[in-house]
Amino acid sequence: MRSAVYLTSSVSGVTVAQVMALVPTSIVAALVDPVRYPALLVAALLTAVFWDAIFAYLRKRNAGFHGITTALIVTVLVPADLALWQLVLTLSLGVILGELIFGGRGFGFLGPAVVAVSLLVFSFPEVQLANGSQALALATLPGALLLFFFGLVSWRVILGTFVGVFALAALSGESVDVVAITTILAFSLIFLICDPTAAAVTNPGRWLHGLLAGGLIVLFSGGSDMTTEAIVFAALTASIFAPLIDHLIILLHARRWRNAHA
Amino acid sequence: MVSNLRHVTAPLIGNNPITLQILGICSALAVTTSLSTALVMSLALTAVLCLASASISLIRHHIPNVIRLIVQIIIIASLVIVIDELLQAYAYEISRQLSIFVGLIVTNCLVMGRAEAFAMRNPVWPSVLDGLGNGLGYSLVLIIVGSIRELLGAGSLLGYTILTPASEGGWFVPLGLMQLAPSAFFIIGLLIWVIRTRWTEQVETAKFTLKTQEVRQ
Repeated sequence: MRSAVYLTSSVSGVTVAQVMALVPTSIVAALVDPVRYPALLVAALLTAVFWDAIFAYLRKRNAGFHGITTALIVTVLVPADLALWQLVLTLSLGVILGELIFGGRGFGFLGPAVVAVSLLVFSFPEVQLANGSQALALATLPGALLLFFFGLVSWRVILGTFVGVFALAALSGESVDVVAITTILAFSLIFLICDPTAAAVTNPGRWLHGLLAGGLIVLFSGGSDMTTEAIVFAALTASIFAPLIDHLIILLHARRWRNAHA
Repeated sequence: MVSNLRHVTAPLIGNNPITLQILGICSALAVTTSLSTALVMSLALTAVLCLASASISLIRHHIPNVIRLIVQIIIIASLVIVIDELLQAYAYEISRQLSIFVGLIVTNCLVMGRAEAFAMRNPVWPSVLDGLGNGLGYSLVLIIVGSIRELLGAGSLLGYTILTPASEGGWFVPLGLMQLAPSAFFIIGLLIWVIRTRWTEQVETAKFTLKTQEVRQ
């Protein structure tokens, strides 16, 4: 456990762990479309690493190559028939606007993959994101366990999201199919909503962040028939609110602490 | 004359109301979906700014200090109503597209800011030049943002097709994002970035700095 904590105490360690977690899902995506996926992957990796290197050069820092994880996540989510220039354009915008202008991985408050995919859907409404499949959900599992072991995903966010989805779906009187929901949700939940730089970091805040994300997923997809687009937008909105949630929780703690010690 | 001219040139880039003072952002986001609305809005705002600066500067010695804001707003609002009526009479279609944003020039921080900061304590001619300069600085940003958004969002400029969209047999795929308000935020942000890279004296001092620290093992 000590060595595990040591690995993820540096930003590069986090990137290495996330890349390891993303290998099975990328393999599944490659098996689904062995012709088109490698092209998308190469284009995405080159784009992400290019911007990482450019910004490292401009800021006179060592290049971090954290964009690799962004590229791996985005290529799983986009449809296999996406034009390469659309991928390169939106991934560039996502990596720059979501991460690099803030100073790099860990300085921003949004997941660059979420920003890239959201911009893709906003810019080209005709693009349909790939829906989560059973194979993808199964391939997410080892990665999720690995990230959980490294402390890079929070079980509170995961549970909160599920509670949010089920609660809102049950309230609206929809039938709730646990297996189907988990299948569609798995990949996006682990790699978008639970992104360690975008999720809330206080324990009660993690519950609230998960609840908010889960509720928004049902709200955005208009029922329990969830779409990947809805999940991505829910992840984006929830991560925008995460710093505020944390701030309020910390204020609340400070007040309680002050009252107890006054 | 040279000293007066700097009132016009300074707000273009060096002291630009949008990119340095971050004023008038609201209308800059709303009316820049096409170049024509951006141009008309720029004209309207520049006209209001010049006329308001002139009138306020003219009567600046007679305005009681306690009600100066009320007097300024009355003058600005009257001018805005005149401009709005003119637009409705002679450019109805554009005025419909601009909807409430011409009326909202009244509350534009830029106009109030110049009246309060400059016209209240300077003679008429410099005040007019200052209004003109700030209007042009605002217009410059609006025209840049409007051109980028219309060109990339619809493939046209001022309604003339420049890049034929794929739906009409061309190669260009319009970026839907450019027709949404956030894109104006992104473009203005990137513009500020470019300007502050070139004119480094505009860079604000950092509020926080990173503490260099060894990773605990």
